[in-house]
Amino acid sequence: MNLTLPTTLVLHALANGISHGFDIIDATGLPSGTVYPILRRLERERLVSTRWEDHEIAREEQRPPRRYYELAPAGRAILETARARYPVPASIRSRVRRLRLARSS
Amino acid sequence: MMVRLALWLALQFVRIVSGLVPRAGRVQWMREWEAELRQHAVYLRRRRHPTWTMNLGLVQRALGALPDAAWIRRQFTLDADAVHDAGHALRVLATAPGFTGAMLLVFAVGIGSSTAIVSVADALFIRPLAVAQPDRVMTLWQFNRETAKGRLDVAPGNAIDWSMRARSFDAVGLAEPFMFNLNLAGREPDYIVTARVTEPFFTALGTPPLHGRLFLSEEYRRGAGRVVILSHELWTSRFGGDPSIVGTSVRLEGGIAYTVVGIMPAGLELRLFHDNSGARRPETRAWMPKQGFEDADVANRSGAFWNVVARLRRGVSIEEARAELGAISVQLAREFPQTNARISAEVVPLRAHLTGSLGDVLPLLLAAAAMLLIVACANVANLLLARGAARNREFAVRQALGASRVRLVRQMLVESLLLAVAGGSIGLILTRWTLDVIGRLKPQDIALVDRIPIDGRAAAIAFGVTMVAAVIAGLTPALHLSRPSAVNALREGRGSPRRGVRGALVVVEVAAAVVLTVGAGLLVRSFILIQRVDPGFSREDVSVLQLFSSPRTDTPAKRVVFYQQVLDRLSSLPGVLAAGAVTSMPFAEARVIVRGPLTISGRPPASGESALVYTSAVSGDYFRVMDVPLIAGRLFDRTDTPTSRQVALVSRRAAQQFWHGEDPVRSRIGFRFYGQAYDAEVVGVVGDVRHEALDRPEAAEVFLPYSQAGSTGLSFVVRTASASPVSLQAMKEQVWSVDPIQTVYSVGRLDQLISKTLVGQRFNLFVLGGFALATLLLASAGVYGVMSFSTSQRTQEFGLRLALGATGRDIIGLVLGEGLKLTGVGVMIGVGLALLLARFARQLLFGVTASDPLTFAVVTLTLMAIAAAASYLPASRALKIDPSISLRVD
Repeated sequence: MNLTLPTTLVLHALANGISHGFDIIDATGLPSGTVYPILRRLERERLVSTRWEDHEIAREEQRPPRRYYELAPAGRAILETARARYPVPASIRSRVRRLRLARSS
Repeated sequence: MMVRLALWLALQFVRIVSGLVPRAGRVQWMREWEAELRQHAVYLRRRRHPTWTMNLGLVQRALGALPDAAWIRRQFTLDADAVHDAGHALRVLATAPGFTGAMLLVFAVGIGSSTAIVSVADALFIRPLAVAQPDRVMTLWQFNRETAKGRLDVAPGNAIDWSMRARSFDAVGLAEPFMFNLNLAGREPDYIVTARVTEPFFTALGTPPLHGRLFLSEEYRRGAGRVVILSHELWTSRFGGDPSIVGTSVRLEGGIAYTVVGIMPAGLELRLFHDNSGARRPETRAWMPKQGFEDADVANRSGAFWNVVARLRRGVSIEEARAELGAISVQLAREFPQTNARISAEVVPLRAHLTGSLGDVLPLLLAAAAMLLIVACANVANLLLARGAARNREFAVRQALGASRVRLVRQMLVESLLLAVAGGSIGLILTRWTLDVIGRLKPQDIALVDRIPIDGRAAAIAFGVTMVAAVIAGLTPALHLSRPSAVNALREGRGSPRRGVRGALVVVEVAAAVVLTVGAGLLVRSFILIQRVDPGFSREDVSVLQLFSSPRTDTPAKRVVFYQQVLDRLSSLPGVLAAGAVTSMPFAEARVIVRGPLTISGRPPASGESALVYTSAVSGDYFRVMDVPLIAGRLFDRTDTPTSRQVALVSRRAAQQFWHGEDPVRSRIGFRFYGQAYDAEVVGVVGDVRHEALDRPEAAEVFLPYSQAGSTGLSFVVRTASASPVSLQAMKEQVWSVDPIQTVYSVGRLDQLISKTLVGQRFNLFVLGGFALATLLLASAGVYGVMSFSTSQRTQEFGLRLALGATGRDIIGLVLGEGLKLTGVGVMIGVGLALLLARFARQLLFGVTASDPLTFAVVTLTLMAIAAAASYLPASRALKIDPSISLRVD
């Protein structure tokens, strides 16, 4: 697994419960053209697992079901290495924290 | 409003881009993006005043769908290419079954056999021993300087002196064999080997007990109670592996009670109690403390039957210990010149002791394995080079059609890898099979585990080395294409200039095959010659039963009566032609050998050499059963009773050695047998008999009638009519009909007993023979590969020659000549190497010299014949092609 700063930021966001593609974009400030390939790669290497949103919720919101990304145990392990190599900037940390509060409300 | 427009634009873009995503995942991919975009729009609408830039942000995010889709597309293509490459490789390999088969064979044989032999070496040399710091644990043996025989058991007196005088060791433990009948309720009587050991014995081993404890110091004192430590094997097989047995008392040795104080762990192998033939007795199954030395122990320097295990003191080297024991031996020789003049001490590390005779052969086998691996690599390279050259045009065409070089290289790699993995897997199956066969064949004197594990590192190395050869040879043609000559290859369909390299590889293979085949050939010749050796008796239709005396037959008179009863019962069995018995049975599992000085008319014979004779007592029709000829005088008969005049027979060799051609009959001889002195009249001369092994000479022997000895247990020999072989079980039952709890130590057919002594030779033959066969196979595959490639390259030339009037025979002669030339060079180099190397195998040979002309001739002819066949096949195939096709330039 090729560890880069963007990958680390995505892993950090996932570890903090940010679980949708666009939310990760919001949390990390990375462009969508960067975040999605990273998510695909993580999924391919089984560092994240994915599932689809419940159909009931999707129908209520009048849109297709969203996709959830969650850190797999292997991904959690690699996050430690990644954080050691690329410390997550404080600005990103607080952004992630704020977004998590906003989404959970 | 603006949000809606932005969303629409974004969705349109995603929809367009979705064309890139492979169909299988396209709908889901679309759904994911749409859900995110719509959700984002919801967030935007919730804001009071979404700004322009915010709305544009939605479109901007949608642009990310392009890199996403592109990434997915690329992965898909890469995966598909890999699948495609593998599929293509499989198809290519399937169209060339000859090449594929040859490659699989080479990989399988090369990886398989070299891994197998290294695994054996590993199991022997690197396997952990169940003693503390195994490198410091030594076994000490007597060495007879006169006969140059080593690893002999130690006389008690010498063992005691060594242990008291030597300073090189922290502990010198002595072990005295103690064998008895074990009668446990509900089990067949069993004869077991145990040891009485001195206190430093367990200190020298440093092995803690599995359960319970070792003996206490006071338990080694004279008169202390009877205590025993059980081996793991005896504990599990006879006492059910129950740890609570520690502290209880068990009945051993004629029903006497012993308290079990401990159980030793599994895997404690020592293989002590070596007998004179070099074969070892079964592993010790229990230990008892030696409670003080008897006067007879201290005084005994001629009867060698003890064993010594010692732990080297820290900082003392083996050489220093050897030097010290050498000095002690010199002292002892001075103090006891009669017994110790020719005796010195030998220090053998426990590991070397356990490795046994294979220790001598193993370097040879490892060299053979390395040679085989070299041949395998040469072959892999050869086959791939030939094939690569043949495919030059294919590659050139594919390159011209737009395949990148990387793609072609990858294609070759995939092919090589597929072959290596498939071949290697077959090889590992072969390894497992070989190791199982070796485990079954294992010579008695080698302490090998039953199931030798495959050595992973060896397999990895063998696999790696052949893979590297495959990659280098496989890539050469693909890389070659980058040069301008690729264009030429396309235009002319000509081969590469690497024929010289391939010729050299074939020469190497042939030379290695000659060396290994000569080695195997010499072993085969030795084996045949050994089996033709006449042991002095006829081995067919003779069964052997070994009985030891028991507490119920504790006097000579009782023994004579008991054994006569058994003899009568055995003789009365239907189908039995004759039965007899002897105290030292040739080739028996437990050989009892009594050797002592002989006097003729009260004086030592004037032979100059030592007048030691083997002495045994015989009963019944022993000589008739064994078919040992009577040369002069008479055999024993019923007139030779305990009270009649003492009589003896001598062997032909004894007659020659001590009477120098004069007739020994009616001379008076003196000898000792089981502590009793005999003064007997020679009544006859019998033929010589080999005792220990077919490749050891006969010894001078003296026989006395058992009725006048009654000394010890007997081995019964029974000759049966060949049409109605009486079962061994029926014979055992005859013994038990006389005494139901008499142990029958071993039963077997005489020819099997002899064949068992050849197990070492058979093992060497099997392993080296296997290697030789494997290299022969590989070498012939190599010759075939090169010749078939070379003829395929010359098809046009042959067509031209035929058109110009050459006959098919001329063409075949041409190809054969080339093949034989290559092989001839290889054979010459191989013969030279074999002459040089065979000397190292000399100790394995019997009856042939290391430069046996017959073996060399046969091997040379065989290889030339194989080469001729391997060249003939492709040549005749080339001729079958219609000249109109072979001449066509396409």
